Amino acid sequence: MTRTSFAYRLDQVTHFFGDKKVIDIKHLEIPKGSITGLMGPNGSGKTTLLKLLAFAIPPSSGCIFFNGRPEYPFSPKIRSKVTLVTQKPYLLKRSVFDNIAYGLKIRQDIKDLKQRVCRALDSVGLTFDQFAFRQWHELSGGEAQRVALAARLILKPEVLLLDEPVASVDTRSAALIRTASLAARRDWGTTLVIASHDLAWLFDCSDTQISISSGTLFATGREIIIPGPYIPPEHPGQAWTKQLEDGQTILLPARSGAAKTAVIRQENICLGTTGETSHEIDNRIKGQVQSMHLTGQNRQIMATIAMGEMSVMLGTATDQAAAMGLQPGTQITLLFCSCNIIWR
Amino acid sequence: MEFITQGFVKAVFLLIHLDPATFSAISATLKVSTIAMALSLAAGLPAGFALGYFNFPGKRHIKTLVDTLLALPTVSVGLIIYAVISSQGPLGDLNLLFTLTGIAMGQTLLALPIVIAITAATVENIDSDLKLTLVSLGAARHHILRTCLWEVRYGILAGAVTAYGRVLTEVGISMMVGGNIKYHTRTITTAIALETNKGMFADGMALGMVLIAIAFCVNICLSFLRKQ
Repeated sequence: MTRTSFAYRLDQVTHFFGDKKVIDIKHLEIPKGSITGLMGPNGSGKTTLLKLLAFAIPPSSGCIFFNGRPEYPFSPKIRSKVTLVTQKPYLLKRSVFDNIAYGLKIRQDIKDLKQRVCRALDSVGLTFDQFAFRQWHELSGGEAQRVALAARLILKPEVLLLDEPVASVDTRSAALIRTASLAARRDWGTTLVIASHDLAWLFDCSDTQISISSGTLFATGREIIIPGPYIPPEHPGQAWTKQLEDGQTILLPARSGAAKTAVIRQENICLGTTGETSHEIDNRIKGQVQSMHLTGQNRQIMATIAMGEMSVMLGTATDQAAAMGLQPGTQITLLFCSCNIIWR
Repeated sequence: MEFITQGFVKAVFLLIHLDPATFSAISATLKVSTIAMALSLAAGLPAGFALGYFNFPGKRHIKTLVDTLLALPTVSVGLIIYAVISSQGPLGDLNLLFTLTGIAMGQTLLALPIVIAITAATVENIDSDLKLTLVSLGAARHHILRTCLWEVRYGILAGAVTAYGRVLTEVGISMMVGGNIKYHTRTITTAIALETNKGMFADGMALGMVLIAIAFCVNICLSFLRKQ
């Protein structure tokens, strides 16, 4: 067997719910030991993709290779290497100890069980004495999510898939979940795929970012999806448009073929003031800086900017951000040309 | 009113002095109902799980049939079992008519649809995240089956208790298949019917009190399980 540096390779993978195609991936490779950030609007296919990667559901067509081998039908052996933490944690109706030990028990790997459960609880910031023998219904949402994560971490999985792990938990739990998840790669070389709306965290911790919309991947993460619905032109020759909830309109280029998602690369968007003009720029969309984050990789400022219901993340150098006086709450204009928007 | 009071006093006397006929009926009732429940659970739990968990052609029709059988009159079950185990029936050679085994067979048939229907309904209502959680923890098929049943154990137990209540209090099957033979196939319910007809009100009341006590215990269990 040939050794491969990729944990996953997906080739021509599609998945349908009834007649609706929810996943359409031509090609995707996820390196071993990497952290991949998966971002996209609700209903874009993130959860379905994670379920496919967890071998919880088979794809409608195409092939998923794991460690270089095509996987289908899924064996318990392959499922034992990959684990998924869902957004809404489901705990078995038993004690915290039994929930965490479940995966090891079904593997009949019960050596030093108590110590291992203790370490798993400790890794998510819960003490053994206080929590191990609580029942499933005696936990808060954040504690339940941490127990669910501990139940996966105790397995030392090859791949840890996280579906919005911090979406509905308190700040302290979110911080502990982030730390414990990242420790899995540091300690065991676990491959992580994280789906989250917390773009700042994703950009900070992940090696690769993937955007997904309508089941289609945009593999660099430097592409911003302008989600539909799109309004077709009333007359031929006029522009397609996207109406934001705050009343602003984004002009789009003519739509071609079966393309269904409008995308623009981050480098084609300028942050500016409303006074700036250019013949090429036909979109001037006002937004507000929601948050700013210093990324660990390029020492860039990543600013999350809300425009109507859309939220985009743009990087800028620290000195440029300072010169523009960027801070959370700052009103800013995003300048870009519709000709730089492409249909995928 | 006075004869009810006298009946109650005599009933307490019969129970305290361990009246053989009374305790024979209690013993027969507990024996047949326990055997019937064991058999109906053994067959009904896997069948109910399969009906609730898997999707297959004809599932809806089977569910309709099972739901219809929930309302099966006990005399109809008695009639069917009687026809099967009487000397002219297909199981006539086994000499099961007027035996506790025959009654247990009928009561199994009575309890089976209840166990299947409640297990299927409970399994159908399992949180869809449970299976995903189990798969993501590396569970194989048999782990998923076992854990799913364990997760809905209170719902299934409630179904079993409901079935036990129905079996315990039925009279049609015991009367038709058992024949109400004293010290042999006489159960609490058939004894109550007979003693009351004979005017032995105290004996009937003693047995009635026991039956109510058992039914009360069963319902206490059911109430407790429903709270879980």
